[in-house]
Amino acid sequence: MRHRTVFIATAFAALGLSAILPACGKSSGEPQPLKELTVQKVSVDLSKPDPAAAFWHDVPEGVVTLLAQAMVAPRPETRTTESVIVQAVHDGTRVAFRLRWKDTEKSEAGHLGEFSDGLALEFPLRDGTVPPVMMGAKDLPVHLFHWRAQYQRDKEKGKPTMKDLYPNGSVDMYPLEFKEAPGSDPAAAEKFSPGAAEGNPQSYSKTGIDEIVAEGFSTSSVQEGHGSQAQGTWANGEWTLVIVRPLTIEGGSTLKAGTDGNVAFAIWQGGKGEVGSRKSITMHWTPVKIR
Amino acid sequence: MSKVKNWHLKRDVEYPYDESRPKRQWAIVFDLNKCIACQTCTLACKTTWTSGKGQEYMFWNNVETKPWGGYPLAWDMHVLEKLGRQEWNKNGEYQGKTLVEAAPANERVLHWAPTDEDWMYPNVGEDDCAGAPVDSGGHVGKLPHDKWFFYLPRTCAHCTYPACLAACPRKAIYKREEDGIVLIDQSRCKGYGECVRACPYKKSMYNPHTRTSEKCVGCYPAVEQGIQPQCVVNCIGKIRVMGFINPPWKARADNPIDYLVHEKGIALPYYPQLGLEPNIYYIPPIHADREYLRQMFGPLVDGAIERYQKLSEDPVAAGLLCLIGSTDRIMHGFKVEKGMATGFDEKGSELVSVPTTESVFVRSAYDAKVGAIRNNTP
Repeated sequence: MRHRTVFIATAFAALGLSAILPACGKSSGEPQPLKELTVQKVSVDLSKPDPAAAFWHDVPEGVVTLLAQAMVAPRPETRTTESVIVQAVHDGTRVAFRLRWKDTEKSEAGHLGEFSDGLALEFPLRDGTVPPVMMGAKDLPVHLFHWRAQYQRDKEKGKPTMKDLYPNGSVDMYPLEFKEAPGSDPAAAEKFSPGAAEGNPQSYSKTGIDEIVAEGFSTSSVQEGHGSQAQGTWANGEWTLVIVRPLTIEGGSTLKAGTDGNVAFAIWQGGKGEVGSRKSITMHWTPVKIR
Repeated sequence: MSKVKNWHLKRDVEYPYDESRPKRQWAIVFDLNKCIACQTCTLACKTTWTSGKGQEYMFWNNVETKPWGGYPLAWDMHVLEKLGRQEWNKNGEYQGKTLVEAAPANERVLHWAPTDEDWMYPNVGEDDCAGAPVDSGGHVGKLPHDKWFFYLPRTCAHCTYPACLAACPRKAIYKREEDGIVLIDQSRCKGYGECVRACPYKKSMYNPHTRTSEKCVGCYPAVEQGIQPQCVVNCIGKIRVMGFINPPWKARADNPIDYLVHEKGIALPYYPQLGLEPNIYYIPPIHADREYLRQMFGPLVDGAIERYQKLSEDPVAAGLLCLIGSTDRIMHGFKVEKGMATGFDEKGSELVSVPTTESVFVRSAYDAKVGAIRNNTP
């Protein structure tokens, strides 16, 4: 292990990244349960999330156990995701979380009844508060960073068209798209595409992550983002996802170097019908120590 | 879970939210004896609301042939099968469980989840006859014969206790206080599809283009201006009328909807046993199988048919039926006197007057003046 650390550090040095890696590398064997998440400072480029970046090999891993969401209906019948392996680093301005969990099929949603794989990180919105871990409460808001495989597909291939979704579908006409029709420009047509006309973020092509604020069950709403990014890869029955967010967010959750915070996790397996409150979650906050 | 009053079932039912009746409640009455499944209502709705991307398969208003037709496929059979056999008592009180009461512990509403394929065949079963099909040896040997089917036009019922609203974990669905119309907030919906599963009548539909769910909006922009919905004003058979229904304890005999539902008791809610207090009401078809009709409309169906068959003896009721389809405006009141039926708007101003009996002219078959046989060909 020690040899490997040295090797990777050498590799970074060779790339001119002058990495300052965490003092301890990955421990041998299975990752241990995560009691608190220590986030070391690194000197690598975190501006582009990369689940395969070599430096992750030397960031300590911890396992967080998930349970089926049980507080509010509709609930999943069983726990679909048992645990998630968590790593985190920061570079002084951004913090990156790398998350790995088992999911036997990649689900990107599309048709009726098809849902997307997803993961959300949750933080108390205000410094010094410890909101209820399940979606916060009135005056104790939480700040969520919600990644969906569906959004990542949008980013990589564009939002699917109706032809992509239903290649054998036959449509005689969309009257609002007639060139000669009065008012027939794309903006006019969009007025009749209700979600889009209302500016619902759900109806637009996404780049990978939603920033959400909630003050209890049923209250979550998507907010203007703060440059958070995400990138996931699915291979061999496992998702590996990196979420990068700013350490400091004005009016939002803030993680400061030298201070303690909290984080919680939720995972959806779309292929098993999980969406909304049908999900696996952590039932407690995990302390975060930014070093 | 709250206990709320459901007058369709003559008892209190469980619902996730407290009873909160709107100031007035949007409602449509359909006379199923007159519907010919011309689908003009369906197309009026389609061209008004759902001609865009992701809405290709949507029919917020549809007309299906009962018993074999259904959009989505066999929606009512699926829901009834899930609920299982339930009973009404002799007083017309429902003793079984509603969809909310029968929900498993991890769900808000007992539901059947349709798939894409279920929505793809809106006209399967159209005009198929029940009571032994003709091609398997069934024949018409007596009158009234035992072969039957009927057409069932359907919109969202803008239920008093909507299952879609109960099931939405985001509280993105709301019931308007001013007219009881149930809407999905298109800025809050995240397309979880809980309403699509939960609505037993299957009138919430998922739009894969906007990734949100959509539903019949009751033509609220028209209703706000005192105009009836597109599916109603375009009905060439004049089989339907939209207005505002009161609960029985506030019923007004001069309100057209109250009159048909409460005063005469000829129009009934469909599948009331599901417990949502749906607000589309049907005058049942007189020639369809009674067991089937009891399943669909509950134990009051026999009396409703009996009274409907005697309507010609009741000039007020007959007059009201003449008013249906005679105005695009919403009738808040009506009166019938001296052979004329008159509809009134909210302020009591006259909207329309029609004779309750059309004049009949009898002419001899042969026109001696011009030396020709008369016929009715224009």
